[in-house]
Amino acid sequence: MTITVTPETFHFVSFDAPHTARIAARVATMLGLDDIDIDIVVDETSPLARVFVDAAPDRIVVTAHSGALEDTKHPTNQSDRATTLALSRALLKARDRVRGGFADAPADSALELRQTAAWDVHIVARLSRLGMEINKQASLYNFRNRHGFADSVDGVFETIWSIEATTWSELDAFSARAATARA
Amino acid sequence: MASKGKPRAPFAPWDRRELPGSFSVEDTARRAGNYKWAEMKLFEALGGWIATVPELDVKMRLGTHCYKHAWHAELWHKRLPELREMNPDRLTMPANDALVRFFAAMTEPEAPETTLEKLTGVYRVLIPRFIAAYTFHLNNTSEITDAPTIRSLRFILQDEFDDWRDGEMIIQSLIETPDDARRVAEHQARLETLMTEAGGVAGHGSIGFHATAPEGAAAQ
Amino acid sequence: MKKFMPVEELARDERFHQVTQAERMRDGRSAFSANSEQSRRSSNRITPERPDASEAARGLMHGIFVGEIQALEGAGRTCWDFTTGEEAPFALKLDMARQAWDEARHVEISVKLGDWMGSEIGQFAENTVLFQAACSNDPVLRLAGVNRALEGLAIDVFTTMKEFGEVAGDPYLEFCEDWMLADEVTHVKMGSDWLRKVTENDPERRKKALEFQNIVDKMFSYGGTRSDSDESSIGLARRFRELAGFTDDEVEYVAEVSMQALNERKAMIAEKQAAARR
Repeated sequence: MTITVTPETFHFVSFDAPHTARIAARVATMLGLDDIDIDIVVDETSPLARVFVDAAPDRIVVTAHSGALEDTKHPTNQSDRATTLALSRALLKARDRVRGGFADAPADSALELRQTAAWDVHIVARLSRLGMEINKQASLYNFRNRHGFADSVDGVFETIWSIEATTWSELDAFSARAATARA
Repeated sequence: MASKGKPRAPFAPWDRRELPGSFSVEDTARRAGNYKWAEMKLFEALGGWIATVPELDVKMRLGTHCYKHAWHAELWHKRLPELREMNPDRLTMPANDALVRFFAAMTEPEAPETTLEKLTGVYRVLIPRFIAAYTFHLNNTSEITDAPTIRSLRFILQDEFDDWRDGEMIIQSLIETPDDARRVAEHQARLETLMTEAGGVAGHGSIGFHATAPEGAAAQ
Repeated sequence: MKKFMPVEELARDERFHQVTQAERMRDGRSAFSANSEQSRRSSNRITPERPDASEAARGLMHGIFVGEIQALEGAGRTCWDFTTGEEAPFALKLDMARQAWDEARHVEISVKLGDWMGSEIGQFAENTVLFQAACSNDPVLRLAGVNRALEGLAIDVFTTMKEFGEVAGDPYLEFCEDWMLADEVTHVKMGSDWLRKVTENDPERRKKALEFQNIVDKMFSYGGTRSDSDESSIGLARRFRELAGFTDDEVEYVAEVSMQALNERKAMIAEKQAAARR
C-alpha cells in the first residue's frame, strides 16, 4: 500500500502532509484497505468541508476541500478528529464501491442529495460501531433535510443506522421510501 | 341584580380590606424612591456582570433577571408622580450612605472566577432584603388607599421569589468544595455587615424594626 | 467592576475559542467561485440545495449562537457603563435591559437549535467582532453599532435561516427563527428611535453616529459574507429591514457597502492565491 498526500507543503492552512498520510494508513488498516494505493488531494484554497472519492480496485483517490480536515474551533489548523472522520467516511465509501454491494451506485457527482445522505448514514453508523466518536444527531439532521421532517423519515433513518451490510439498490429503496413517506 | 329594596353593601362579606395603613403619602413616596434607586443599581450590576461570568447558564439568567429589576425600577418610577412627586429623580436616591457602600462592595467582584461572590451578594444578601422590605410594605400599607402600590408589590414580589430561587439554586450548584462554601460565607458576612449598617433597601425601618439606626450604625 | 470592558476580557468557559475579525480576514481561502481555479458551486447562499447545506447551516447557527451571547453582553454593558441621566436616559437603559432579556432568550433558543441540528457548543471559532462594535464609549454610537448595524445583520441572518427552514420543511427551525426575527425588528426600531431622540438637538453627534454605523455595516458584511450577491452566504433582507424602519436609502447603502466588501475580499483572495502560485 502506498499513500500520497498532495500538496506536500501547505500555504493557506497549517496542515501536515506526512501526518495526514499516517492517519490515512491507520484508517485504511482499520477498514481492511491496506492492500490498495491511496492518493489524498487537498484543495487548500477552499474552506468548504466537501470530500469526493474516486474508487478503483487498485487505487482510491480522495479529494478533500481543506474545511473537511480542519479544526473549526481553530480555523486553518488541522484537526486529527476531523481528518480521521473525513478519511474514514471517504475510504469506507470507497470500500463499499469496490468490495461491498455498491458497484452499481452512480458516481458521487451523479448521486441525488437524498441518496448521498442515506449512504452517509450507513457509513457513519458503521464507523460509530467501530468505536469512532460520531454525532448521530448531526447525521439525523442531514437525513431529515434530504428526506423530510417526519416521524416516518426518522424511522427509516433508524433502520439504515442499524443495518450492518446492505446493497446500493436496497439502500436507495430505503431512501426513496423515506422521501415518499414524507410526501 | 340585587332584589328591589335590598341594596347591596359596598363591601361584600368576604372583602375584609381595612382603611388604615402605616404609611403616609410622603412615606410611601420616599420608600418608592429608595426602591427605584436600589432596583436600578441592581439591574445595572446584573447587566454589567453578564460579560464577566464564563458560565453560560449564569450568563443567560443574569440577562433575564436584569430586565426584571429594570421593570421593577420602572414601576416605582411611574408610581412616584402618583404620590405627588412630580420630579421622580428627586426621590430616586439611596436610603442612606451605608447602602451606597453596600452596592459598591457588592459590585466589586469582576474577575471571571468570582461568579460565586457575584451571586452571593445578589441572591443571598440583597434579594432577601428586597423580599423583606416589600413584604413589610405590602402587609402594612392601606389596603384601600394604596392599592396601586400593593398591585406593584405583588408583581414584584413574585419576580423576587422566582429570581431568588433561581439564584440560590445556581449558588448551591456552584458550591463544590468546602473552600467554595467558606468563600461564600465570608463574602456574605462581609456584605451582611454593610447591609446591617444600611438597615435594608429602604433604610432603617425597612421591615418595621429598627426605625432608627442602631448604635454604631451609620446615620440615615 | 470597571466601566467599559475590552473585548479580550469577555468571559467564556473552556469550550469556546475566540478569534478576531482581523484573524478571520487573514485566512486566504475562499468559497467564492469567481477567483478559484476550480468551480466551487454556482451559489454560496445557505439553502437546502447546497450539498453541504446541513454543515453550512450548523456553522451559521453557531455563529448566531455566539453572536447572541455578544449581543446579550453588549446590551448588559450598556446598562452598566453609562450613568443614568447624565450619560444615558433612564428609559434608554430600561430598553437595553429589555434587550438583554431578549438576547438571553435568543441564546437559549440557539442552544436548543444547535442540539436539534447536531452541533456542539464551541464547535466553531467565535468571532468577537460583534462585541467590538458594542464597545464605544458614546451610548449613541453604541446604539448605532449594536441596534442598527448588528441587529440589522441579525435580521439578514434570521431571514436566511427562516427561509432555509421553510424550504427544508423544518418546522422547528422556521418557528424559532421567526420569533427571533420579530425581536430583532423591535431592537432595530428601538435603536432608530433612540438615535433620533438623543441627537435631536445635536446634528454633529447624529452625523458621527451614522458614520460609525456605516463603518460597522461594512465590517459586518464580513468580506462579502452578507450581500445581495448569490456569492454571499447571507442575503440582504430588504423587506424586514424596511419593517424595522430602515429607509430605502439606508438599505441601498448597506447593499452597496456589502458589495464593496465582497469585491475587496475577492480581490484580496485572488492576490493571495496568485502569490501562493508564484
